[in-house]
Formats: sequence, structure tokens, C-alpha cells
Amino acid sequence: MSIEHAVEMRGISKRFGNVQALNRVDLELRRGELLGLVGDNAAGKSTLMKTLYGAVLPDAGEIFIEGQKAALRNPRDAQALGLAMIYQDLAVFNNLDVAANVFTGREYTRRVLGITFLDKKRMYNESEALLSRLRINISSPKLLVERMSGGQRQMVAVARAIGFDATILIMDEPTAALGVKEANTLLDLMSELRDQGISIILITHRISDVLSIGDRVMVLKGGERQGILNVEDSTLEDVEYLIVRGRPDGSG
Amino acid sequence: MTANQTPTTRGESARARVRELMAHRESGVFLALVIFFVVMYTVSPIFRRPFNLTTILRQISVTSIVAMGQTLVIVSGAFDLSQGSIAGLAAMVTAKLWKNAGLDPPIAIIGGLGVGVLCGFLNGVLAARFRLHPIVMTLATGAVFLGVNFYITRGESIIGLPDGLTWLGRGLIGPVPALIVLMFIVAFLMHILLTRTLFGLRVRMIGGNLKASQDVGMNVERIRVGIFTLSGFLSALGGIVLLGRVGNALPQIGQGLLFPVVTAAIVGGTLLTGGVGSMAGTLIGAAIMGIARNSLVVLQLNIYLQDIVQGLLVVLALLIDQFRRGELNWRIILGRDR
Repeated sequence: MSIEHAVEMRGISKRFGNVQALNRVDLELRRGELLGLVGDNAAGKSTLMKTLYGAVLPDAGEIFIEGQKAALRNPRDAQALGLAMIYQDLAVFNNLDVAANVFTGREYTRRVLGITFLDKKRMYNESEALLSRLRINISSPKLLVERMSGGQRQMVAVARAIGFDATILIMDEPTAALGVKEANTLLDLMSELRDQGISIILITHRISDVLSIGDRVMVLKGGERQGILNVEDSTLEDVEYLIVRGRPDGSG
Repeated sequence: MTANQTPTTRGESARARVRELMAHRESGVFLALVIFFVVMYTVSPIFRRPFNLTTILRQISVTSIVAMGQTLVIVSGAFDLSQGSIAGLAAMVTAKLWKNAGLDPPIAIIGGLGVGVLCGFLNGVLAARFRLHPIVMTLATGAVFLGVNFYITRGESIIGLPDGLTWLGRGLIGPVPALIVLMFIVAFLMHILLTRTLFGLRVRMIGGNLKASQDVGMNVERIRVGIFTLSGFLSALGGIVLLGRVGNALPQIGQGLLFPVVTAAIVGGTLLTGGVGSMAGTLIGAAIMGIARNSLVVLQLNIYLQDIVQGLLVVLALLIDQFRRGELNWRIILGRDR
């Protein structure tokens, strides 16, 4: 398997009852690229990504991560291999501050008299450093997430994923609920992450987002891959054509 | 690249700190407490007597101690309605261990606390492992604990308790009543637990977003058991302090404790839906309720207004909370929402 690919999925199929959600789908994510994954509702985008993240087990097909064949039985397996998926519901703790969210599940602690105390100072310092490394504009790691905008919450979720040493980031419709300005800030963050070497798959309905910051865009329709286009030589119409009509050879 | 590089970020972080302070849920109730206190202090000469102020503190101490446990439970997204019954059972077991088993008072007290821990542990297991709904489940176990209490005491009181058993409730440490010291110690330790330890963070996590907590892979069951066990322990401690306050061991001890306890937590800003709450807030909540009750006495109003005032304060606290969370606004109240 080619080492230039962070992820390779080969012949992934998945059936839910009578519905063939995915039919022998291939996907290659190059290292350090931002790949858009687009398609109509029920095209299989989320199912494909959940398969990659170990949240859905495929009926057939193979997955290679950094050139190694991966047996993904659950998201924890995927996380161990450097994957992180940020779902639309984010799974952040609104009642906690930024640092607590960034360090969820791997808190720094100190044991004193058998009691596990939080090393808050270290978590504040490190999350502040992380935020500034990612150029995320959140004024203090002590801010409560419930006081933040939708875009900032997304960024906290991203910071958490990167803090877990994720090198492959899957984002499911991150801009869907955001205003234009916030969406743009988030897109900036994604291209910044890409420039820092993170490989990103972006599921989205907003094709223009992918065309503005993405490297390539993959189109799914009816659970089948219609093609992968280079963003540089593609127009909005090209992508929309594939989404609606499918492969130009008429098989779609 | 560091956040402190530019001079403006320093000012921003100072401003953020002010915002942070203002955002503290306790700020509002604390202000209410101060205003209430100042008004009463000015209006009533009886109120401002040191003896009266100490009385208020003594009156709220048991409520506060037990309410610290309730706060922990509510922050985790549950309720413990069996606290009053645990307090009563623990108090009676303590008295009986001294009277019938002939144990020294300190040993009897440890036995009573052990009963509280056991009751709380049982609640925790039923809530966590058997996934029973905490409200109805603790209502039921509370009935069981009360029943056990009356069964083993046959409903009879134990009078003439030794100093060793009543000291927590009526003893002095220097000039200060022991139970006031105990209240502040419990409040301090519980505050540290909730805000500074991994356990406390886990409690706030499962109360704030249970699903995400499970996804992170934390042991939610064990944390729940720990929470209810601690609640049982503090209920028992409250019950044993009550032995000293009352002077005799009455089986109905602890009955009527639950409402002021829940009230203190709610008035203190603990979010009913879980995830948010503080020991300082609960202490303030208990103090507001204590001053309200005391005001009725020193202003020579009818003491039977107490329940009405208490009930209305809870309703008010709930309303304020709904407003703050944006669940409620004037449009909804006036029926113009659609």
C-alpha cells in the first residue's frame, strides 16, 4: 500500500436491511491534504466516515491507515491510530471550561494522600499553548463553553482532537449551523491544520467551502463513489453535476 | 506565538477575569444574601445581636451539611430523596448502639456513620448498576430506611443521651459551637472535592453530558456509587448532629429535613438538570433560608409563614434559573411565543 496515503479504504460495502448504504467504495486520503466528501442526503458520506472511525463495521472491504491494514472494531481503535472524528453534536461539555474540555479523559493529575487532584495549572497552560499553536482565537482556557458561539465550540472540539495527537481529522458538517463569518474562521482553522500536516476529511453540503480550502473533493451518490476531482481544475458545476447525475459514463 | 505576547491580550485577560467573576452563578445569590442581611441588620436590633446571628448559623448547620451531599448528587444529574430517612436511621442506630449495645459514644457514632455509608452505597448501586430512576428509587429506599428505623426502635425515643453523643450538636470549640465549625469544615472539604479533584470533575461531567462521559470511557457506575455513598455519609452526619440539637433520640428525627436541604441547593444556584452547582452557593442558599426564617421570628411575624416563604423562594429560584438559561422569557409567559 502506498505510504503517501494517510488513509486508504478499499471496496467498502455496508448494507442496512434493504438499503445498500455503501457499495464497494474506495477512498484515498493523501497525507496532509484536505479532502472534501460531498453528496446528497443518504449518499453514504456519514456511513463511510463512521466505518473509517470504527463506529460502523463494514460488510466488506479493507482499511489501511498510514500504510498498515487496520482492524477497527470501535472508535477507540481508530483513536489509537491517530484518527479523530468530530460529530455534529460535538460531545463537548458545555458546563465545563475550555481546558477541561481539551483534556477530557486524559486530565493531568497529582496524587496527594491517595486523593487524585487535578493539575489545573498545567492543563490551563498547555491548553493555552495548544490554542495559540492552532491559532484558535479563544481569549482564555478558563472560559465556560456554554458561553461560546457554535464556531468556538467547534474549535474546542478540534483542539481536543489535536490535543489527543490526532493526525487524521474527520469533520462532519462542521459549518452547517454556523453563520458566514464563523464558518470562515473555522475553515481558516482547517487549512491552518492542514498546513501543519494534519490530514483532514470534511463532510459538507457546502461545496463552495471545499472549493475554497480543499485539495480534492470526492463525490458519493447512492452509496457509490462517483469520482474524485482536483479542486484546482474543477468548478462548482463539475461537482454539482457529479452529485446530481453521477459518473459521466452514465453508470451513475 | 504565545498568548501573552501582545500587550492587549493582558488587558483582555483581565477583562475576561472580571467577566468570569460576574458569570459565577454564586454572585447573584451572594448579592441577595448581603442585601437581605444588611436590611435585617439595619431594621431589627434583635436580629443583629451576636446571639441571634450565632443561632442562625446553628440552625442552618445541619441543613447545610446534608445539603452539601445533595448538591453533589444534583450536580451529577440525580436526586437523593432518602437523605432525611438516612439521617433518622443513622441517628437512631447511633443512640441504640450506645444504649442497647453499650458502646462508647465515639464508637456508636462511627457505627451510625457506617449505616449512612451503607444506605448511600445501596442507593448508588441501585441507581448505577440497576439503572433505576434516582428520584423514585430514593423515594422508595427512603421509605425502607424510615421503616427500618421505626421497626428497630418500635417508634420509641431514647432519652438522656450522654455528652459524647450530643457534643457534635451542642458542644463548643472555644467560644464557637462545634456544629458551626463542622459545617464550615464539611463545606470546605466538599468544595475542594467538587472543584479540585478528578472525582469532582467526573461528577460535573456526567451531570453535564452523560453520553459524552460514557464515550470518553470513564467509569460512570463507580462515580455514581461514590456520589450516593457520600450523600449517605453526610446525611448520617447531619442526623447525628441533630441528636445533639434535639437532645434526645426521636425516631422521627430527620423528617422534614429534605425540603430545606433541596431548597438550599436550588436557591444556591445548583442547576436541577445537573452539571452546575457549588458548595459555596449551597451554603449561601442555606443562609438565605436561615435568615428568612429568623426574620419571621425577630420581626414577630407568624412563624407559620415559614413554609410559605420557603416554598415561594424555591419557586423564585427556579424562575430565575429558567430565565438565565434562556428557557423562559416574557414572550413565553405572556403567551406570545407563537
